[in-house]
Amino acid sequence: MPAVAAAELKHDLYVCTNLSGQGSVMGRSGPVLSGLYRSSDRENFEHLGPHHIRTFSLTYDPSDPARLYIALLDGILRTPDRGQTFRIVTSWDMTEAKSISVDAQRPEHVYAGIPDGIAVSHDRGQTWTRMNAGIRRAYTESILVDRTKEGRVLAGTEKGIFLTEDGARTWRLVQATDKVTYSLRQSPHDPKIFFAVTSADGALWSTDRGVTWKRIAGISAERTLHNGEFDPRNAQRLAYCGWGAGVQVSEDGGKTWNDRTVGLPKREVWKVAIDPDLPDRLYAAPYLEPLYVSDDFGRTWRKLQWEKATVFDLVFVPRK
Amino acid sequence: MKIFIPLVSFFTLVAAGCGLRAQPSFLAPPPATAPVEDPAMRRDQYLARRMEVLRWRASLATPGDPAKLGLAEIAAKLALREDAEACSAQIVELMKKPAADMFWMFPVTCISYLGRDQLTPAAKTAIREAWRTYYPLRGDTENHWVMYYTTMHLMAQLWPGEGEDRWFNGKTSAEITAESRAWLLHWMELATTVGQGEYDCTHYLGEYSIPMLFLATWAKDPEMKQRGRMMLDWVMADFTVETLNGIYIGSHARTDDTTVLEKWNALSSYFAWQMLGNCPPPAAYGGWGIYFATIADHYDLPEVIYRIGTDRAAAYTHFERKRTRHRWRNSDVRNAPVYKTSYLTKDYALGSDQGGLLQPIQQHSWDLTWAVADPRGMHNTIFSMQPFYGTDELMMYFTEMPDYMPTAVTSQGKPTYIAESKLLGGSPYEQIFQRDDTLISLSDIPDSAPWKQINGFFSKDLAVLEEDASGWLFAQGGQTYIAYRPLAPYEWRPLEKGGKRLLSPHAKNGTILQAAAAAEFKGWEEFKAKIRGLPLEIKLQPTPGVKFTSLRGKKIEVTYGAAPRVDGRVVDYAREWKLFSGPYLNAEVGSGKLSITHGRLKRVLDFKTLTITDAVRP
Repeated sequence: MPAVAAAELKHDLYVCTNLSGQGSVMGRSGPVLSGLYRSSDRENFEHLGPHHIRTFSLTYDPSDPARLYIALLDGILRTPDRGQTFRIVTSWDMTEAKSISVDAQRPEHVYAGIPDGIAVSHDRGQTWTRMNAGIRRAYTESILVDRTKEGRVLAGTEKGIFLTEDGARTWRLVQATDKVTYSLRQSPHDPKIFFAVTSADGALWSTDRGVTWKRIAGISAERTLHNGEFDPRNAQRLAYCGWGAGVQVSEDGGKTWNDRTVGLPKREVWKVAIDPDLPDRLYAAPYLEPLYVSDDFGRTWRKLQWEKATVFDLVFVPRK
Repeated sequence: MKIFIPLVSFFTLVAAGCGLRAQPSFLAPPPATAPVEDPAMRRDQYLARRMEVLRWRASLATPGDPAKLGLAEIAAKLALREDAEACSAQIVELMKKPAADMFWMFPVTCISYLGRDQLTPAAKTAIREAWRTYYPLRGDTENHWVMYYTTMHLMAQLWPGEGEDRWFNGKTSAEITAESRAWLLHWMELATTVGQGEYDCTHYLGEYSIPMLFLATWAKDPEMKQRGRMMLDWVMADFTVETLNGIYIGSHARTDDTTVLEKWNALSSYFAWQMLGNCPPPAAYGGWGIYFATIADHYDLPEVIYRIGTDRAAAYTHFERKRTRHRWRNSDVRNAPVYKTSYLTKDYALGSDQGGLLQPIQQHSWDLTWAVADPRGMHNTIFSMQPFYGTDELMMYFTEMPDYMPTAVTSQGKPTYIAESKLLGGSPYEQIFQRDDTLISLSDIPDSAPWKQINGFFSKDLAVLEEDASGWLFAQGGQTYIAYRPLAPYEWRPLEKGGKRLLSPHAKNGTILQAAAAAEFKGWEEFKAKIRGLPLEIKLQPTPGVKFTSLRGKKIEVTYGAAPRVDGRVVDYAREWKLFSGPYLNAEVGSGKLSITHGRLKRVLDFKTLTITDAVRP
């Protein structure tokens, strides 16, 4: 497979990864740089910003994709210039942010899932307020703003999916779960459709903007599912992965699922992603293994980068 | 059966070790444990110990070999005010490859302040540049944050008025000062009203003490300076009251696989040696001890605390309330209370918490520690525990994905975490109650638990161990007689480090331990006879329970899942356990005010008014 001509791509691929191995803890140095990487051609990766073993997720400002927000151990890191300069925009009272989402209708409004609740900024991350009233077990792993309506946000917490329609002033439980909801996604093809994966409740599907949810048949609740994704190029295609669950794909809108783990070194897959620019291209990140790529939607795989990576997030950021 | 276990010569194990030369106190006979009455002599000895640490660490630097001149050696040399040129040159090199996060921050803060009038401009520039380009992680737990924010506060003080482009985190000096101050105040408020989260750690004692000494010594803001001084007093009082000849006894939020057996072998023993002079220092002065030693001359341990650690007229019971580490998941309570009890005599100490999963991975819930002439290499302790591990525990205290964690933890300096033979860690299926020198631990272990068993630690250093037909195990450690009662059948397993493990593979289970001084009895046989004669009822079905009249005449009734009773009265932990209570330390929950007393001496640390008040009773 020849390197992709960078000019053909409309997105850069950002990767949040720990390359320091299983034994990495605070206070130990690592042999290679962990944290944030970017690839402009899907083959070569450059490290950006600090060496950081707990860089969990990233999102961008849809009104200015050069502005990136990164959820990491220290809180939230913001870069206004695609990773040339950084600033920790949270203070001592917010730690270990897990997820961030920008309100596309009001991009100065940013929401973050943190271990003790939900943090909201109304000034592009400069200042933050905790806003999770009504959520008893407030651990929040995933957060997603409905791109069609200002102030409408879904939060995947320890005990369920919560919805706010007033910018986080009030929250209501829309789907109880036994354990954490690890990923929330809105269909790029139909904004009414949402896809969630959980730790102990399998995968969930909503066709009414996240107001009601149903378990997706055929997906076991036995495994911790790490993330689910829509294919931005094909409304019928989805993928999810998890610990022991390998990589699973659907090509009929989630009705049936096929295992696409063959060719990967293990079934413990931390992250899966679907490329918005390249047809049939799927990425999978088995735990402590290289990042893998497939150009036939998971039927065959090849190593793409690194040797022992824990990839926390794979994000495609528009160049313009 | 009577088993005499030979003592292993500690010195034969370590004498060949490198780097031990010039650590005279580590190799010397153990120091006297009696208090030094003359204050001037006490201070001289304290300062001499400091100099011993500095001279040893400085001596590790090999002339002409910069590779042997690390941050610790530089700190020692700067404290001794020697070789500033060489130190400066090496700092320039070391600042090119910073690593280790907050464990880099506090050594570099130390040498920055020690070197203010010694380092070359190039070295100072290199340090300054490192704090712009190197991004140390803030960490995820209390000791990390204490180190991080104390050093941020001091370095922002060193470089005030600088812009966000001058700091790794993109904040200004003013913002860093405000943020670090806010966190430190928050932590002090929490620690002095509801207790520390990482309480009574055999290692992390250093990670609290050293930053507080830095703050007390170098903070310009008089409030922060005072707070640093007061917290250091607080931490030292909290430590010394639970020491037996310098050894940190009883329950710990965190210890490790070595120290849980060899109780002395911990950084905490450096502080006992430095402050109290009543035990040998650990090898290399506990590692981090060097950074305390650099400016230890700026601290004068209050005599009232010194005497609590060294001069005890009688046995005493000390109660404490602490809190759990932050709970993120699987709990409705962010910081659950921890109720500690410690009973100390000159011969032994029994200490415990209430059991349960109070901390992740490295919790140690109870033990009996007996006094020994020389603690080096000695496993002078006995305890039992319910081995447990699980993703639910880790999800409670960490924010990471669940499944990879148990195995990953074993690569992160906690190798026994998922081992059936483990002797370290808490369990949700263990409930403990202690009164005086009697302890009862009960377990009711469900099928879902990783192991349905109790592990008991029986040391190589027990002088005697007998399995009695009565069901009691009788042992002697030092001058302490020990009666240990497994509540269910057991078998023995050898331990790699010596001694053996009592393995009791039953879900309904527990341990009774009764300690006593040998001097209380005419002899061994009388002790055993008295124990055999104590009223005891054990039931295991459907729920484990014990009714036991202790050697001290207390009628203790405990049932798994129910509040304990003593002499018919229900024990109410929430109401009865203060922040501190006992003959030496007293503080109400929420007060921020600790009264430290010994004999006629009294010191009150009041964090509400930021005052230290000393009094002497006429």
